[in-house]
Amino acid sequence: MTDSSLNPMLRPRSIAVIGVSREPSKWGYKVFHNIVSNAYKGKAYPVNPSTPDIDGIKCYARVGDILGEVDLAIIIVPASAALQVVDECGAKKVKALCVITAGFSEVGPDGAVLEEKLKQKAASYGMRMLGPNTMGFVNNSISLNASIVPRMPPKGEISFITQSGALGLSLVDWAIGSNLGMNCVVSTGNKADVSEADLLEFFEQDKGTWTIAMYIEGLKDGRKFMEAARKVKKAKLAIKAGVSQAGARAAASHTGSLAGSDAVYDAAFRQCGVVRVEGVEEMFDAAMALSTQPKANGNRVAILSNGGGAAIMASDACERRGMKVPELTRHTKAGIARLLPAFASVKNPIDTVAKSDYDIYREALKMLIDDKDIDCVMVIYAHAGFTSAAEPARAVIDALKEKYPKPVVACWMGGREVNAVAGMFRRNRVPFYPAPERAAEALSALIRYNGFLKEAGK
Amino acid sequence: MMLSELEAKELLAGYGIPVNEGRAACSAIEASEAARHIGFPAVVKVLSEKIVHKSDLGLVALNLCNPSDVGRNAERILAKAHTIDPDAKVVVESMAPQGTEVIVGARRDPQFGPTILFGLGGIFVEVFKDVSIRVAPVDRAMAMDMIDDVKGYAILKGARGKKGVDIEALADIIVNTSKLMMEQDRVMELDMNPVMAYENGAMAVDARALVRD
Repeated sequence: MTDSSLNPMLRPRSIAVIGVSREPSKWGYKVFHNIVSNAYKGKAYPVNPSTPDIDGIKCYARVGDILGEVDLAIIIVPASAALQVVDECGAKKVKALCVITAGFSEVGPDGAVLEEKLKQKAASYGMRMLGPNTMGFVNNSISLNASIVPRMPPKGEISFITQSGALGLSLVDWAIGSNLGMNCVVSTGNKADVSEADLLEFFEQDKGTWTIAMYIEGLKDGRKFMEAARKVKKAKLAIKAGVSQAGARAAASHTGSLAGSDAVYDAAFRQCGVVRVEGVEEMFDAAMALSTQPKANGNRVAILSNGGGAAIMASDACERRGMKVPELTRHTKAGIARLLPAFASVKNPIDTVAKSDYDIYREALKMLIDDKDIDCVMVIYAHAGFTSAAEPARAVIDALKEKYPKPVVACWMGGREVNAVAGMFRRNRVPFYPAPERAAEALSALIRYNGFLKEAGK
Repeated sequence: MMLSELEAKELLAGYGIPVNEGRAACSAIEASEAARHIGFPAVVKVLSEKIVHKSDLGLVALNLCNPSDVGRNAERILAKAHTIDPDAKVVVESMAPQGTEVIVGARRDPQFGPTILFGLGGIFVEVFKDVSIRVAPVDRAMAMDMIDDVKGYAILKGARGKKGVDIEALADIIVNTSKLMMEQDRVMELDMNPVMAYENGAMAVDARALVRD
């Protein structure tokens, strides 16, 4: 449990959904249905004066009619009715708001005025507010789906803060498809009150969150964000979209034109330990490595592969990203050579020449983890059809159960058989990638993140 | 509004940033008088809010060794500048010895507030945009990191038998620029271009500042 002011919002014991509907295509139906159809343990009250019941549950005409306490009110009424509903919530002593209703600052100046009123009203009652114009949030650790997300993502350690609701939705679907575990997904909407900075503070204390991923279009208060991010010891990744040159165009000086908003975001993220990633795939690839692997002490990578081509591509991919693929110590080389046919290469990358037996992979990986001149390991298996993809995968999982002081990422290349192995890797917390470049990119993010830790002296 | 070079340099000097001495002059006589006071070799440059690209327009004269050269060039520059800006003056400065040119700048970013920029001058900044940026406040260690971050760092450190420059002095300028931006709310943008970096010391030879009206 955390002692954050966002507890009543993101870990509510009771929820009123104001503006429910019996019409399954409407958000007013979906949100309530999502809360009650998952295993949420708290109380959920539907509110709508013109709906007698929803899914057989009695509706309340007003939030004030609810007898028990209400931690969180989720508001899905039209924008014009929102202010009055907030007053009713204030009178009921509701602790927090999640305003899904749209039609505020995102639609123009009139909406912005309304949003400002909404914000001040919520503040006057001491209620924290998510949104408006949010798709809600998911908190897997209390089995709560307070959003329009149709299905819960698998449980995991990654929490995701997204400024775009639609992107959040598609990413949850993607997470389900790729078996990527998530703890919370929060859509920030217009950020009238709760911003990334507040959520960073919440997730820092949230035990279920190990890695924080963010999708950011623009920050309202960059300094507040940096201050919050600096305090967060967990891994942080961000996509900053909208690489705008508008600021640079308006600049009067040389400095102005060189220090465009994108360059400043780069600098700011770096200074507060946020790893900037370019896209969604890269972000989740990196999050998978960061949320499961120990720290890397440096950028020296050992590569173990059953095929030369994949090994060379992996070396290139690592070196292009500023990592080193150095010679192994004599002791390691001799140890691995004993496992392999005489013609195999025990230089780094190691090419086992089509050998992918359980013992070879397991023993070789253990020796690489033991090599003091190596900081992380990439294990590659290229599926040939006549070998088993599962056998070396089991070897990696078993070796890591014994020895786990260094980051290890797996790259299993192939189709159907490899997909079957993916679940095994995920269950055993081994980050797994379908191509060497993606594994290298994830390792690079892990190393960059550890660089921040070192710089910050943590 | 844009501060004149002299005003900008006064602001910088107030924060311990080394600048070369300069005086404004409205005529050839005033200019040669100023040069006598400052010493030779001297530089004469146009001083105008309206004229940005001084060298491109031929409104800078370098390495002038006697009062009559200063007077002649001041007259020429004033005449040419007055066609663009009737209020233009000239500034007479001591000629800074040639060093390695770097640029130090600052800008108040709408989201992050004061940010500081460092880069190598000349083509490095014009063509390669080889700069490093930090959100202020920038302390000494961070300033050293910024300098280390530019791709041209090898040039500053000294390469191919050439001696390196005074990196500590550059770090001082960066830290003091950060301090200035944190304390002077009205400064929106600041350009020191170039800063001459020497084996010992560094000096802002040209400066511009955009301040809130």
